Amino acid sequence: MTQHATVTGSWSEQFRRFEHNGAEISPAWLRDVRRSAFGDFERLGFPTARRGNEPWKYTNIRPIADTSFTLAEHAPDASAGIDYHAYELPCPRVHQLVFVDGHYEPGLSTEPVTEAGLHSDVLGRHGDGPVVGRLADAIEYRVPLVREHLGRLAPAPENAFTALNTAFLHDGAFVQIPDGTFVPEPIYLLFISTGAQAVVTHPRVLIAAGADSSATVLQSFHSLDGGTYLTNALTEVVTAPGANLRLCTLQCESSDAFHIATTRMDQARDSRVASVAVDLGGRLVRREVATLLGASGASVNLCGLYYGAGERHVDNQTFVDHAAPGASSNEVYKGILDDASHGVFAGGVLVRPDSQQTVAHQVNKNLLLSSDAEVDTQPKLEIYADDVTCTHGAAVGQLDADALFYLKSRGIGEDVARNLLVHGFVSEVLNAIEDGAVRQHVEQAVAECLSGSR
Amino acid sequence: MLEVRGLHAEVNGVEILKGVDLSVGVDETHAIMGPNGSGKSTLAYVLAGRPGYEVTAGSVTFDGEDLLALPAEERARRGLFLSFQHPVEIPGVRMDHFLRAGYNELRKSAGEEQLDPLKFDRLIRSKAKAVEMEPTMTKRAVNEGFSGGEKKRNEVLQMAVLEPRLRILDEIDSGLDVDALREVARGITDLSVPGTSTILVTHYDRILSYLEPDHVHVLIDGRIARSGGRALAKEIEERGYDWLEAGAGV
Repeated sequence: MTQHATVTGSWSEQFRRFEHNGAEISPAWLRDVRRSAFGDFERLGFPTARRGNEPWKYTNIRPIADTSFTLAEHAPDASAGIDYHAYELPCPRVHQLVFVDGHYEPGLSTEPVTEAGLHSDVLGRHGDGPVVGRLADAIEYRVPLVREHLGRLAPAPENAFTALNTAFLHDGAFVQIPDGTFVPEPIYLLFISTGAQAVVTHPRVLIAAGADSSATVLQSFHSLDGGTYLTNALTEVVTAPGANLRLCTLQCESSDAFHIATTRMDQARDSRVASVAVDLGGRLVRREVATLLGASGASVNLCGLYYGAGERHVDNQTFVDHAAPGASSNEVYKGILDDASHGVFAGGVLVRPDSQQTVAHQVNKNLLLSSDAEVDTQPKLEIYADDVTCTHGAAVGQLDADALFYLKSRGIGEDVARNLLVHGFVSEVLNAIEDGAVRQHVEQAVAECLSGSR
Repeated sequence: MLEVRGLHAEVNGVEILKGVDLSVGVDETHAIMGPNGSGKSTLAYVLAGRPGYEVTAGSVTFDGEDLLALPAEERARRGLFLSFQHPVEIPGVRMDHFLRAGYNELRKSAGEEQLDPLKFDRLIRSKAKAVEMEPTMTKRAVNEGFSGGEKKRNEVLQMAVLEPRLRILDEIDSGLDVDALREVARGITDLSVPGTSTILVTHYDRILSYLEPDHVHVLIDGRIARSGGRALAKEIEERGYDWLEAGAGV
């Protein structure tokens, strides 16, 4: 218990300082939300990896609990030394927001949002372009959607990290696709950590996809230096009827970093979300993606790729709530685990009693490249309706020796052959990224990561 | 070209090859026939360098070089090609990517310039056309979802691209109907440029009416029990293997 008190004590101090001078924008309602969220955190404490605490059974976040993190200061020259070209998407046009250590960088962003652009009269106008702006602006200009949804999908009382993110909420991204709008170019949210020691950022993203809208949003996390810092990201997504939203996350944090990411989605009738999460970095990674299929015809495709090297621990948790009849979900998560890395996958699917004609498929496949690598995989299906089609499968294995010999018998050397097979293994996930530029960008990051490791 | 002397080999500690002698010259076609379990495929795998096939005695030279000292990829780079009885399905790896990697390795070891994707695409298209394969097949994952005939045709395409000097065709006729067999055989014949030798590993005589062998060897219980010309294969077609097995004391 002493541990618990010390930890929250350090965070309490941070929170007091943050309330005093760290919060740039503070309408009264937000101050209340933050204060209440911090109260939730104090009550919850950090989760512990112990028997009976099912969601955290395999993931010990003690290294995070034991570190005294400080909020990143806003350094105006932080972006000066960044070679931004390394992160550029290979396409001519992009809606882009850049954050360095959690602070908005206007110089690198393409979307300086004006009050007029965010005014409630303008929002939601049919056929208009997307709103891609700072969450801080959206709060300041009182965008009704923000007040309506912020914290609704990811309630603070549920989870210590969610609570912390909300308690320290000050900025992030707000993306709104008006009804009927097709956004051809990717929306790109780039989060760069300078890698300063023991710094914490709490990126917050709210995405609202209007009725019959269509867009692609890429969130990308990178670091300049290899410090032990914490990224505690939280994304809330709400889709209106008929929306088609493609989400992609690329995580390339430093190999000493902690990365906690939570995505909560609420999908309306006939809306479709395709999510691809790619974890290539970090020391300790925990990614939760959950969606509520709350109306018929809603569908979600959740894909993930995680790569473990060194002593990386990477934990993916998915949860699909089939809360209406005739909704469908499909999950494909693949892991490549090398060295002494540890992968975890838990796929939760809940089919509620009236959710007839549910279709839910889930696959988790893992490739172990080292005898010291480990993986724990578990489907968690709870099905209370009887007219459903649900499948799940998990596999753990090594590279196929027959395939390896086949490649070598054509003159291909060991290293190239192994690389071809590993890329073949991941291609199913990468091919799920529909936007060509985003896919190319992520493929490149994966290729660099895999070739750098051997 | 290929000299096999007193070759013994084991799989999982069980001796399969018990002293094989075989000499294949340039421009020759040899058929290795034999009943199931006689060691035909083992011989093919040992020559190609498959892991798990352990040579316990004997020697194999290819153009005078110790073949057994080389890993599988080096054997391929020297011009040896094994057409698989069961070509392996490799999900996620595109045919053209895979074959370009192999082709460029061969070029590299021959000291020749490598082909970029664009130039290789032209090459593979023309080769696919030559072996009567739909060029779009080369954009699919290696053998994934291919029919038996398509898999064998794909082996022929790889031969056409890699242009090996010694081809070991392991049951190239299995799983083929008569029309597919004729087409595959024609593909192989078309690729038989001067300087190419072939070892046909087969259970049945029927492929031999398309690809006329100069020599026929019958493998019984890990040894070559009899060698002869085309007439030997015809005799086997009529009489089966029993009379040879009896002679070999099996």
